[in-house]
Amino acid sequence: MRDAGFSLIESLVSLGLLMAITGAVFGLVNPNAQISQTQPEAMDMQQRARVASDILSRDLFMAGAGLYSGPQTGALTNYFAPIIPRRMGYQNADTYTVVRGDAITIQYVPNTYSQTTIRDAMPQPSSELKVEDMPNCPKNQELCGFTIGMTLLIFDAEGHFDFFTVTNVQDSAGQLQHRQQDLSYAYDAGAYVTQAASQTYYFDAATRTLRHYDGYLTDVPIVDNVVGLTFTYFGDPAPPTAPKPPVGKANCLYDAAGNLLPGLPTLAAQGGSLAELPLSMFADGPWCGNGDNRFDADLLRVRKVRVAVRVQAGDAALRGAGAGVVNSGFSRSALRSLDDLTLRFEVTPRNMNLGR
Amino acid sequence: MAVSVSTDRSAGFTLVEVLVAMLIIMVMALGTAQLFAVSIRATHAARNQTATTALASQKLEQLRALTWGFDAAGSGLPVTDTTTNLSQDPPTNAGAGLNPSPPGTLNQNTAGYVDFLDARGLWVGTGTQPPATAMFIRRWSIEPLPTNPNNTLVLQVLVTTVARDLEMAAATGPRERWADDALVVSVKTRKAQ
Repeated sequence: MRDAGFSLIESLVSLGLLMAITGAVFGLVNPNAQISQTQPEAMDMQQRARVASDILSRDLFMAGAGLYSGPQTGALTNYFAPIIPRRMGYQNADTYTVVRGDAITIQYVPNTYSQTTIRDAMPQPSSELKVEDMPNCPKNQELCGFTIGMTLLIFDAEGHFDFFTVTNVQDSAGQLQHRQQDLSYAYDAGAYVTQAASQTYYFDAATRTLRHYDGYLTDVPIVDNVVGLTFTYFGDPAPPTAPKPPVGKANCLYDAAGNLLPGLPTLAAQGGSLAELPLSMFADGPWCGNGDNRFDADLLRVRKVRVAVRVQAGDAALRGAGAGVVNSGFSRSALRSLDDLTLRFEVTPRNMNLGR
Repeated sequence: MAVSVSTDRSAGFTLVEVLVAMLIIMVMALGTAQLFAVSIRATHAARNQTATTALASQKLEQLRALTWGFDAAGSGLPVTDTTTNLSQDPPTNAGAGLNPSPPGTLNQNTAGYVDFLDARGLWVGTGTQPPATAMFIRRWSIEPLPTNPNNTLVLQVLVTTVARDLEMAAATGPRERWADDALVVSVKTRKAQ
């Protein structure tokens, strides 16, 4: 019978075993509990970095895609710089002398048959464009398939370009209208008009977000807890030779007689093909284009873009301190600390490398 | 002989009962810990796969940026980069550019067709042996397309981890590709504009 209870020795032995086993269990559970808190956040960081990479890569791949079914075909690099390192568009645009390492505007013509030219020369600023009905225009649709709300690009062979959004289509008059977005140049008859896209991506340090701006009214965050975004540019060591204006007209590269202007240097290549283009090179002219859409002629060299996106753990309790994080958090445990994650990638836009 | 079996539970648990209960708790805790370990491995593998894919794409884009076109004068002569050494960062002029690579550059470290990167994806060296700080090995090959060898190249980039490569080196037979390896393939062609 155990009615006499445990002896002191039995009690001590059982208590000792209990403490040892409980200690061992807590030793296992405690780190696991910490790790279980960090793993979802680690996966979220990877996912955010992937989203940023996918979205930026997709548009960078398209950069410079130009007309392909209209009166003139070829990449946009033959006319103006499709990649410009600043915010461009109707709202809060950077002035043309601003060069940012954390912002980029990417321009291209998407898959569209709405490609034509203007019929009459335009006064400036003009809110109306009279356009031609070209054979390539889609049939049984209003005015070459242009619709209200569509983003259009108008550009010429001299380096001028403008983006605007259609506010009215007058099919019978062969006329397009837009509001607010004054064009930077009075285009001659024959300037090209096409559906197009102008995508600005930039880092907003105040809200720690990667944001996208469509060039008109829509500006939205696409990835949060971003703490760094850097664009680095590589391009042709030789000075650009396009756009070449018609004889009798000059632009940033050619005089009116068609002679290439001096001034742009031949750069030292890293290897046999490309040279790194420091941002300062994009702020010293000569300036192509007109008005707010002016751009440095060296941007016509760009052939490759390197991007680095840095994301942090959203919960400050999961961030430590030190060089691994931009914003220090509260965690003092290595098991509960996540360093910032930097994803680096490069894109060689296909349409900016045609023929080379 | 009389055997006394107590059915009165007010006497509490016996030492054996407590020990068995503790053992069960331990087994359950260990099982749960295994789940955490699996989760950590899966997250680590996902991170590796993200990194290897990005690193492979990065080298492919560098290869695609090398000159492979026609002369600007319009005479129709092909122009090819035959000097860039992409195994250095930044690239140097002491390489072979887009010349065809020797056989087997994807399977073994070959000078000019491999570089090593650390856990953050930063370049840490090239050669036949990865430095101690290397976590990833990146190899590539450049082969002319048999049906159009003068104007079309097949570019391949393989990225694996140093640890995985050591396992591969010990194995016999052809190299297998593991789940967190990344192999990207692209075709680069030139035509007159």
